[in-house]
Amino acid sequence: MNPYLDGLRGIQPEIVMTITALAALVFDLVLKGRESRRVGYLTLTGLALTSWFLLGQWSEAAPRTVFGMVAIDQFGNFFKLFTVAALAMVVLFVMHDHREREHGVGEYYFLLLGASLGIFFMVSTNNLLLMVLGFELLSLASYSLAGFHKGDRKSAEAAMKYVIFGGLATGIMLYGISLLYGLTGTIDLAKMGTSTGGLVTQLAQSPVPVGIAMVLILAGFAYKVSVAPFHFWTPDVYEGAPTPVTTFLAVGSKAAGFGVMLRFLGAIFLRPGVADSVAAYGDRIGLLLAILAAITMTLGNFAALRQSSLKRMLAYSSIAHAGYVLIGVSCMTEAGFSAALYYLAAYYFMNLGAFGFLLYFEGVNGNDSVDSLKGMGFKAPLISIVMVAFLVSLTGLPPTVGFYGKYLLFVEGVSQGLYWLVVVAALNSVVSLFYYLRVAKALFLSKPADREAEPAPVLTGFVTAFGVATVVLGIYITPLRAWAERSLDVLRG
Amino acid sequence: MQDQILTWITFLPLLGMGLILLIPKTSLNLIKGVSLAATFVPMVLSTWLYFGGFKHLTPGDFDQARVAGDILASQFVQRLPWIDSIGVEYYVGVDGLSIALVWLTTILLFIGVIASFGMEKAGKAYYALLLMLEVGISGVFVSLDLFLFYVFWEIMLLPMYFLIGIWGGPRREYAAIKFFLYTLAGSVLMLIAIVALRLDSGTFSIPKLTELAAQGKLLGANLPAAGALLGMKFSTWVFWFLFVGFAIKVPVFPFHTWLPDAHVEAPTPISVILAGILLKLGGYGMLRACFPFAPDAFHEFAYVLAILGVISIVYGAFVALGQTDFKKMVAYSSVSHMGYVLLGMGAFTVWGMEGAVLQMFNHGTSSAALFLIVGVIYDRAHHRDLNAFGGMSQIMPRYWALTTLGFFAALGLPGLAGFVSEALTLIGAYQAGDARFRTLVFISLLGVVFTAAFLLWAMQRVFLGQKNPKYLDFEEINFRELVCQAPLLFLCILFGILPAYLLDWMHPSVENLLAILGGKA
Repeated sequence: MNPYLDGLRGIQPEIVMTITALAALVFDLVLKGRESRRVGYLTLTGLALTSWFLLGQWSEAAPRTVFGMVAIDQFGNFFKLFTVAALAMVVLFVMHDHREREHGVGEYYFLLLGASLGIFFMVSTNNLLLMVLGFELLSLASYSLAGFHKGDRKSAEAAMKYVIFGGLATGIMLYGISLLYGLTGTIDLAKMGTSTGGLVTQLAQSPVPVGIAMVLILAGFAYKVSVAPFHFWTPDVYEGAPTPVTTFLAVGSKAAGFGVMLRFLGAIFLRPGVADSVAAYGDRIGLLLAILAAITMTLGNFAALRQSSLKRMLAYSSIAHAGYVLIGVSCMTEAGFSAALYYLAAYYFMNLGAFGFLLYFEGVNGNDSVDSLKGMGFKAPLISIVMVAFLVSLTGLPPTVGFYGKYLLFVEGVSQGLYWLVVVAALNSVVSLFYYLRVAKALFLSKPADREAEPAPVLTGFVTAFGVATVVLGIYITPLRAWAERSLDVLRG
Repeated sequence: MQDQILTWITFLPLLGMGLILLIPKTSLNLIKGVSLAATFVPMVLSTWLYFGGFKHLTPGDFDQARVAGDILASQFVQRLPWIDSIGVEYYVGVDGLSIALVWLTTILLFIGVIASFGMEKAGKAYYALLLMLEVGISGVFVSLDLFLFYVFWEIMLLPMYFLIGIWGGPRREYAAIKFFLYTLAGSVLMLIAIVALRLDSGTFSIPKLTELAAQGKLLGANLPAAGALLGMKFSTWVFWFLFVGFAIKVPVFPFHTWLPDAHVEAPTPISVILAGILLKLGGYGMLRACFPFAPDAFHEFAYVLAILGVISIVYGAFVALGQTDFKKMVAYSSVSHMGYVLLGMGAFTVWGMEGAVLQMFNHGTSSAALFLIVGVIYDRAHHRDLNAFGGMSQIMPRYWALTTLGFFAALGLPGLAGFVSEALTLIGAYQAGDARFRTLVFISLLGVVFTAAFLLWAMQRVFLGQKNPKYLDFEEINFRELVCQAPLLFLCILFGILPAYLLDWMHPSVENLLAILGGKA
């Protein structure tokens, strides 16, 4: 077969998404900014098509590479489907945001789709060059999205902080990549760690340069997933950005960051045929990540205790959850990576749900403070009860998907001998309970509020569906787990 | 049907909860009816299970069961795969340790529902949460799979949080969150121990884990660094992680501080369930899922446990003596009474162990009765200040009679249930044949004296003396309140006279447990 045509077939989802993005832009011009909701429907249609093509690649057995750059494998497929699912919810959020008029325009959807396109490329390549390109596409689109409320000082501040931090982090990462290229002579991740790869010779001489390169590159990833000490931008950007964008950053962008991190580490250190010295070096990087994980979750949870804004609280909680996922990464085993993927999938359900709740009450209350939720549980019972399910899952209590995610992480942590990390994580979930319960307390433990909550049936319906999924997937565990396991073909081929 | 009976007992309340959620909240009577039915049927089933279905096993039966792979010789076992990929099963069954507690659970929840009828604010959500609570409690008692055990254990927390937090007293928010945080802090440590046990043994089955531990095969050999944590041996830290999780629930000194708060703020029916059943989960958990998994550590620290038990006995009773709040006094008396459980278990003699298990049941009935008694007077006076009453025996003579019975059951008057179990634990501890344990027995006698003192003093302040003119118009205890208390007090008398109706059920399993822990397996 013609390799060019074959390649085009391989990137069908990306092509569809690009077309959708452009169509959204043009469609908005045609509509002249009126009835922008239609652009939302167009975007959803495009996403449905994209996922149709993605599901077509689901059954492909062996990973392959097209154009010498884009890897078509189940690992990428996991994160692409994840992104599409997250983006679809974000688009729904945009359409139900009380500030829709201010930002519900074609550029908004265009930027969201552009960011997702960046994710698509960055998670499905073993080529460092393409990875950086995807990374940058995601970052640039995110910067503009964060500042989308032009008149809003907080939004502008968020965008500015994001740009400065992001620019710095990307710069550091690029420097690390150039070092790594200089050391190994290749930008193909799969070739670095093999017995003929450059890493072996370098490590034999001195591990220091490799260490510097690795730390610099990991710093870039850490920034994307907001792992300490590169998390400082997170609360401000999450708070200032429009809520749908915050959702996208907290769920889609964070998962993508982990996708890149897992592929990078997995392809270099965990593939079959990796030299022993390289694999041993990977374990040392794992220890570094374990320390970062402990710091990140502790920092995120303790900072979240003091927040009065629900949005900021969720921002810190998302930092803490990055720490939990990092437990799985730091194990540097296939089971650990699979636990990390599972946790991300769990995180998708519980966090998207929580942000849906936030969006709804921003519309009802006009602000995002926890205090303004007082007694509202009796006025909007369904969405509030569902929120309790999300909070329980975020804390990691059974029978929810979040508990099982945490369980898998603990199992792998213990079996790798990282007892101290597991103890830190377990105690952290007690701390996190305290601030998650503040929301439940405000909703139900105060007297019923004297205001009414305007119903939002569609949004409530979707959030409820996520709530049901959070509980059902915590009891019927097999599908998500099987999906996480089969998606690790990147470590096998 | 027989092998599914435990599933029905456990999940019928869940069915009731689902029904309640479908009923509009205006049809309060229908909601009450459903809750009544959803707790009544499990009670009938478990009563049949206790008196009809449960077989009294002989040592030969235990040997057979051991060969068949169930060292605990559980009955009414149902075993289905649940999460295959990590070997979690839906594995339930009862033995002599759990059967009485399952029975007690269903009785107390039924009484709890009736007692709730007096609460005006209790609506749809209240009854739904109450039924969810029952699922969690029964589930813990019947689980034979450690993962399942943990899931049920955690399911209880949320309903309890809301039941205290929404329908509780003035400081309910504080009390509810304190309860939740304390319990979770204990249970996350339990989770780590459970994960470690699973990774070392490759199974979640409680009988299997018990067997492996008895054979000395559960020492962390399959874990990195032989499972050592911070210089502690595998079995040592696993023991402590599990123990602390359960001790918080019991609650054992120094983990008891959540209890008075939770009790004082909780509405009466919830206090009844909390004292009657939730505290037993801690003691039961130790016997089922802590000591058997780390027998060496248990023997090493048995004396520490006994000391903690004695501190709880004396300290709890002493603090109760200083209370002016009726409910807080009863709450501290729970700390004191549950101390006997720990003392009996630490003694590691047949009488001590049996006394401990018996004490759990007897405290379940007597403390539940006491909280109902407090509820009666609180509903009328809207305060619980012991010093503000007086002469109530003349205003409410029938109430006084019931209270006297309840108080005497609690202070361990011979002929009533509490006496048998307390005597057994003390004698059992004395029999431990060790001067250290004898000293402890003598110290804990101090607790007996304090207990008599605070109960009699409270009796004197509330019921005797001058009639308080403010309360002359108090109505006598009503039918609903009587229906709640009568069965509990009846059980206190019954098992005071015929303790064999509990002991014969427990005895074979207790002996078996001692044999397992003694390493004779």
